Amino acid sequence: MADLSIDFAGIKSPNPFWLASAPPTNTGYQVQRAFEAGWGGAVWKTLGEPVINTSSRFAAVHFGGQRVAGFNNIELITDRPLEVNLKEIYETKKRFPNNTIIASLMVEPKQEKWHEIVKRVEAVGVDGLELNFGCPHGMAERGMGAASGQQPDLVQAQTAWVKEVATTPVIVKMTPNITDITVVARHAVKGGADAISLINTINSLAGVDIHSWNTIPNVGGQGAHGGYCGPAVKPIALSMVAECARDRAVGVPISGIGGISTWQDVVEFMLMGSTGIQVCTAVMHHGFRIVEEMIDGLNNYLDEKGLASVMELVGKSVPKYSNWGDLDLNYKVVARINEDNCINCNKCHIACEDASHQCIDMLTNAEGKAILQVREEDCVGCNLCSIVCPADGAIDMVALDSGVAPMTWNQRNQVISGLNGSYSEAEVG
Amino acid sequence: MSAFDEFDQERQAIDSLLLQGYTVTGIFEDLDGARVRFIPSEPAGEPVELLLLTADARKHVTTLIFGGSKPASPIGTHT
Repeated sequence: MADLSIDFAGIKSPNPFWLASAPPTNTGYQVQRAFEAGWGGAVWKTLGEPVINTSSRFAAVHFGGQRVAGFNNIELITDRPLEVNLKEIYETKKRFPNNTIIASLMVEPKQEKWHEIVKRVEAVGVDGLELNFGCPHGMAERGMGAASGQQPDLVQAQTAWVKEVATTPVIVKMTPNITDITVVARHAVKGGADAISLINTINSLAGVDIHSWNTIPNVGGQGAHGGYCGPAVKPIALSMVAECARDRAVGVPISGIGGISTWQDVVEFMLMGSTGIQVCTAVMHHGFRIVEEMIDGLNNYLDEKGLASVMELVGKSVPKYSNWGDLDLNYKVVARINEDNCINCNKCHIACEDASHQCIDMLTNAEGKAILQVREEDCVGCNLCSIVCPADGAIDMVALDSGVAPMTWNQRNQVISGLNGSYSEAEVG
Repeated sequence: MSAFDEFDQERQAIDSLLLQGYTVTGIFEDLDGARVRFIPSEPAGEPVELLLLTADARKHVTTLIFGGSKPASPIGTHT
């Protein structure tokens, strides 16, 4: 059995599975139950000025028969007094000294406010701090959360204020509601961040009730934008993690968050540069015990791969994440239909005719049986047919030797600009 | 006509010129395609310009330049 323990920016944790700062980490009761279930750590639901929440506040997007494909909320940070939370953090840490407790913090962008909360929280024995510069709703309207996180200079300044007094590692949690997340990540690092965590929730409106015309969720008939999370956001989170992981100017450990529900998701985030991960929506959907499957699955995977420690996964796929301009334009894959597994539903033909390159023919073979066949010379290898195919093993995407050397867009442009160097448009026009 | 046939016609035109000793000396691209300028090996010969409309032909001609201006062996169809 592999070693699942991690060292995240100096924070030791028995495994990489942490609960994200969210409703499941609102109280000592919940966090202690989570630790009993096997979670390695918890980021305590964001501490700050006592707030008042709304009713209702959650909504979900069910898609194609899957419950909670996406999740949306307009809940704010903790509405419990700081003293109560600190007392419960202290008790929880005392009872579970080997588990990791991170305090998520959010206050106004004022130096003395940050100093005060950092000192009070560290006094009860947390293992680290996570600065919430990500929540897109409610607190942002008051100049906190994403309102701070969308201003790189403010992220840097507030991180620096925290670092002035912090004695534990400081993690900066970032908003995805920004054009280039690496800009904020770099500023967090400039401010002294020991690590970053991403992503927080994405601006969203879960839906509109077509009968009452109310937004979903609504508060007495009125709605507001909320934060989107759950499996639907995973690709967005993964790409943002990857962008930060490959950016040398960032260069700090990453805690991956966003739609993680299975051990396979965990592996993906770690391969793409996360040293640890945080989970929320999956727990809200299935409860704390899903961590058991995650632990078993990760253990088996590491054993199968012959890896002694989960830390060996971290960042292994980052070098494979590149820029479009560096991709080989001469790499060629084509679709091949396996008649033995094809059920002749024709979905591939329709998809290819209507949305791709019209290269799947409906033919009749020598025995008079209807078959589908790809004209490989016309196939651009887009994958669409294999994506829409409902029959496992009916369509394979096969790499072909294009017979020519690799050439990227950047190399191509270099060649063309070198070639055209001695001509002007007018000369050849 | 299939996309491959459109590309194949343009590819043959490119390869034919290269086999006749022409050299690509300029590629100018705009929204209508790529105008590729060829000059002959004989000093007295006239330059030729091809307008390439297909993406694959544009890729083909730059791949040839990238690989040393030699026409690649014809690409067979795969069955």
